[in-house]
Amino acid sequence: MSQFVSQNQQFHREKIMAESFYKSLDIGKDVANTRTLLHEAIPLTGTIVSGTYSDNNIKNYAHGMFQSVYDYPYLSSSANHIFDLTVGVSAQSGLYSSVTSQKSKKLNIYNQMAQVLAGYDHTGSIQRFDQDGNILAGGAKLDNVFFMNFSRLLIKDEIKKGTFELELGVNSDYDQAGVVFTRRIKLTDLSGSNGYLVNSPVGEYGVLYATQSFGTNAVLAANQYYAVGLLFYQAGVAVISGSVFHDAAKGGILHTTNTDSTRLLSTSGYHGLDIVTGSTNEVIADSLRNRIYNVQFNNTVELNSSVYFCRINHNEYNYSTNPTYLSGSKIRVKTQSSDLPVSYITSVGLYNDNNELLATAKLSEPLKKSSDTEFTIRVRLDY
Amino acid sequence: MSFYKFDEDDLFTNTIEAYPQYRFYTQSGSIYINDMPHLSGANTVNNLGVPKGFVSLYEYNIDRPAGNLIYPFIIKDGHRDTLKTVSKQAYNATLLFGETSTGSYSLSASISRDYYSTTTRTRINALRNTLNHYNYLSPHYQYSSSFGDKSSQTINLISIPSIFYGSKIKKGTISLKYYVTGTLVGELQDKNYNGELVQVGPEGSTGSGSVAGVALYREGFLLLTGSWNLNAETIQTDTNGPSKWIHFNYGANDGNSPALTTLSASFAIDYQGTTHTQTMTMFATAPYGELNHSNNPTYLDASETQGVSTGSIQYMEQPKKIKNVVHSQFLDVEPDFVKTTYISKVAIYDEDKNLIGIAKVATPVRKTEEKQYTFKLKIDI
Repeated sequence: MSQFVSQNQQFHREKIMAESFYKSLDIGKDVANTRTLLHEAIPLTGTIVSGTYSDNNIKNYAHGMFQSVYDYPYLSSSANHIFDLTVGVSAQSGLYSSVTSQKSKKLNIYNQMAQVLAGYDHTGSIQRFDQDGNILAGGAKLDNVFFMNFSRLLIKDEIKKGTFELELGVNSDYDQAGVVFTRRIKLTDLSGSNGYLVNSPVGEYGVLYATQSFGTNAVLAANQYYAVGLLFYQAGVAVISGSVFHDAAKGGILHTTNTDSTRLLSTSGYHGLDIVTGSTNEVIADSLRNRIYNVQFNNTVELNSSVYFCRINHNEYNYSTNPTYLSGSKIRVKTQSSDLPVSYITSVGLYNDNNELLATAKLSEPLKKSSDTEFTIRVRLDY
Repeated sequence: MSFYKFDEDDLFTNTIEAYPQYRFYTQSGSIYINDMPHLSGANTVNNLGVPKGFVSLYEYNIDRPAGNLIYPFIIKDGHRDTLKTVSKQAYNATLLFGETSTGSYSLSASISRDYYSTTTRTRINALRNTLNHYNYLSPHYQYSSSFGDKSSQTINLISIPSIFYGSKIKKGTISLKYYVTGTLVGELQDKNYNGELVQVGPEGSTGSGSVAGVALYREGFLLLTGSWNLNAETIQTDTNGPSKWIHFNYGANDGNSPALTTLSASFAIDYQGTTHTQTMTMFATAPYGELNHSNNPTYLDASETQGVSTGSIQYMEQPKKIKNVVHSQFLDVEPDFVKTTYISKVAIYDEDKNLIGIAKVATPVRKTEEKQYTFKLKIDI
């Protein structure tokens, strides 16, 4: 019985101490959850993609399915992977029957990307990429496309809507030394900030529109925006139609009179993307890479925070149990016996329901607390 | 898709303590971290985009010219959050709502050295309480004692940022080596595991066995006070004279740039840090007789017609045949059907069935009704 009493007294003492030290937070009033969006500007000039490192930053694989682009020779441990490039051809494409090189790979890549990014229709068939994203309305499909899969390192949580720019050289003549940039078009997710679409299994996406950005003669019809691709913001994938390298006579967007289809892959014939039928993914990726003048976008990271408002009333925390608080049985910070006790708050401990310490917040300098002051200390926890 | 709930024996949280080895080598004012050479890039003097001898946080702007750098920014909104480099005054007075405040990468860090020969020594004074606190380890820590008065004696303070050691430097792993023209003239070690940096070599050298300083393991500081001559040769140091421990690491981010043509020393600092990584281990079990069916379209036999019959009062799917993937030795014999799936990934969901993680196996695991597997999933948290 005496042991029980003793334990009970001990419990009582602990209870009094707990009530003295710990103050419960009112979840409704004292805790606020916020979300902050942090962005990064990601510029990737064409010289990183082709030229600067003599393609030592370009990794090709034995499987031949895609090509990886790094921002520095990839044998260096400092190199960062920035994106992958590949090409896909749908079975419904007019080009598909003519494909002689890596036919099944190009089809598989298209289907793989389409089933992940566009999903399935009501019959269970893979949905093809829709030019304007309005699947119910039907309309033109993107059947011959390039894929640019950006690294998660760069896109973070998502590409910031309305910030994506891809500038391509569309001068007709074949070249891999910069001459193709004398005529350029720019692809942007023009309506991304307020006109994005949500009917994709992988999140939101916007339509990429092409406009002329450089060149003396009209490369594209004036004052016209051409839907030439899709940009999946959370997945970080740009789907670019092969029509950006075709003239209008071949079903592309380039000005028929002023600009022929590009010599994308060789010096002979203005075939635009049509010539990809006989080339490997690696060769096609090289050709596209050498026509990239600039890529830039902003990314977004969501920072979630909990803010705990720790309120200290005038009659609380004016005394300390710190051993150094007393000197010779007198409060050290009092000069006269009639002075009210004061304390200096240096940190705030956050405890769980079992009074176990979870986190400590430190003040940059001690805060003087006396019975004539009240404080609300704002403790922010980011995660 | 089936959901299984982890029970308490399926989840473990552990802490892994690791001791990464670090090495700083300093010669003629150049610092080499872990013996990595300084590499120049096509666009920058140092391909990491930070000064030589520094590490780059994130290693983002690799060999990028100025004007083409990745940088962070934040838009001023109702949350009133901004980057740390933006002052409160600039944020409140200059920045309008909707405008952006920008920061910059690359953030960098390296060791540095402070030489104190006068009584003006704010950084040493700031360490007074810390030094006195460790008096229980060794009296050499004492700020003022018979071993010396740190408020007036000449001190060589070497600061190591925590990115280079984690939570603390491991006791007994510190080694400081002092070379002159490639010859080792002195070596210090904390051989007693009490923070004292004791000269242990070369054998028979002046000051061998003496304490030349102390190490603050948790704080990442080395305080060197040894002022005996290690070598008679005059070299370029703080005072241009013989080598002493108070001149150790001369030129390491201390504002001194030893001329390459002048005889100087080279220095090596070796130690192990201590890092703690929390890991969660999860055991996901695929029990006998379960997880033997897939909703993947390819699970069904493609040769079968997957039609439906519909009428005014009915909608009926035709029976679907599962593809028999059992291997047979014979071409003309259909082996007995066995329900078989191939497990390619394990998904982790929270209590609201939100997908929070996916673990993939290197090659799909064949699962039949008479087999049971337990997948061990581990994640650093």
